Amino acid sequence: MKVNIRQIESVQEEHADLYVAEITEPIQNAVELLENNCISIPCTDGMETVMCRTTSIYYVESVDKHTYVYTKELCYETKYRLYELEEILNTNFFRCSKAMIVNIRKIKKVKADLNSRMRAELLNGEQIVISRSYVKELKRKLGI
Amino acid sequence: MTKSKMIFHQTLIIATAILFGIGIQNLLEYVNRGDEQIVCQWYLPLSIILTSFLCSLPTLLLMEGEEAGRKRMIGRIVLHFFTIYLTVSACGYLFRWYTDWQEYLPIAVMIVLIYGFVWAAMCWIAKKDEKKINEALKDIQDQE
Repeated sequence: MKVNIRQIESVQEEHADLYVAEITEPIQNAVELLENNCISIPCTDGMETVMCRTTSIYYVESVDKHTYVYTKELCYETKYRLYELEEILNTNFFRCSKAMIVNIRKIKKVKADLNSRMRAELLNGEQIVISRSYVKELKRKLGI
Repeated sequence: MTKSKMIFHQTLIIATAILFGIGIQNLLEYVNRGDEQIVCQWYLPLSIILTSFLCSLPTLLLMEGEEAGRKRMIGRIVLHFFTIYLTVSACGYLFRWYTDWQEYLPIAVMIVLIYGFVWAAMCWIAKKDEKKINEALKDIQDQE
């Protein structure tokens, strides 16, 4: 694959356009690396340590000073604090409440709820609440 | 938005709504009696500002309970309404906006109508946001 790189002055204008015939796994990995700067996060599954890919994370929740990472069907614990993960997981993730960060790409649809908050249904059927004060951030991430 | 900024905005919005209500009331009096001049107390503008400020404070109830469950949120909204209703009624009595039940009735109706209108407007805005967000999500959703 031919790669062209053009150096620019402003960090804020950095972006990558990929022209591909087919989205293969290496290309998907390249996209993840460019978007998140980190492909996997170390988590624990009881006794074992597992590396959890950011693309498989649905949401991260902080409960009683423990941070839990939720994928489609599983739940892991990570040593990272929520504010640390907020910095690591950029672009596709946003904080939807005081104790939760959610992956936008895993949101199936949202529904307006009481007091201007939103109820989001995830791709695995789970429902989470996006607090009123964080709806603006979701709109900003989506470019609305 | 900081709490003080929110209270300031709410005070302005509620004062505008009260002035609008008084304007409609005066219009009806003009239509019924043909009086071109309506006399009011010297402290009416200040009383409106003070009442608006006091009515903005219960909004903190809703802000604090942003992540409460649905039933608790409904309870908070009902409490919010009655707090505002009692605040306006009490201020109206203190500032002599009404002297008997006949004069009180239009004020009571106005409170309910304005409160209902504000909530209806918020729901409409939330529904518009919901539609925009769902449209935007379709473009970036993972296929699972």
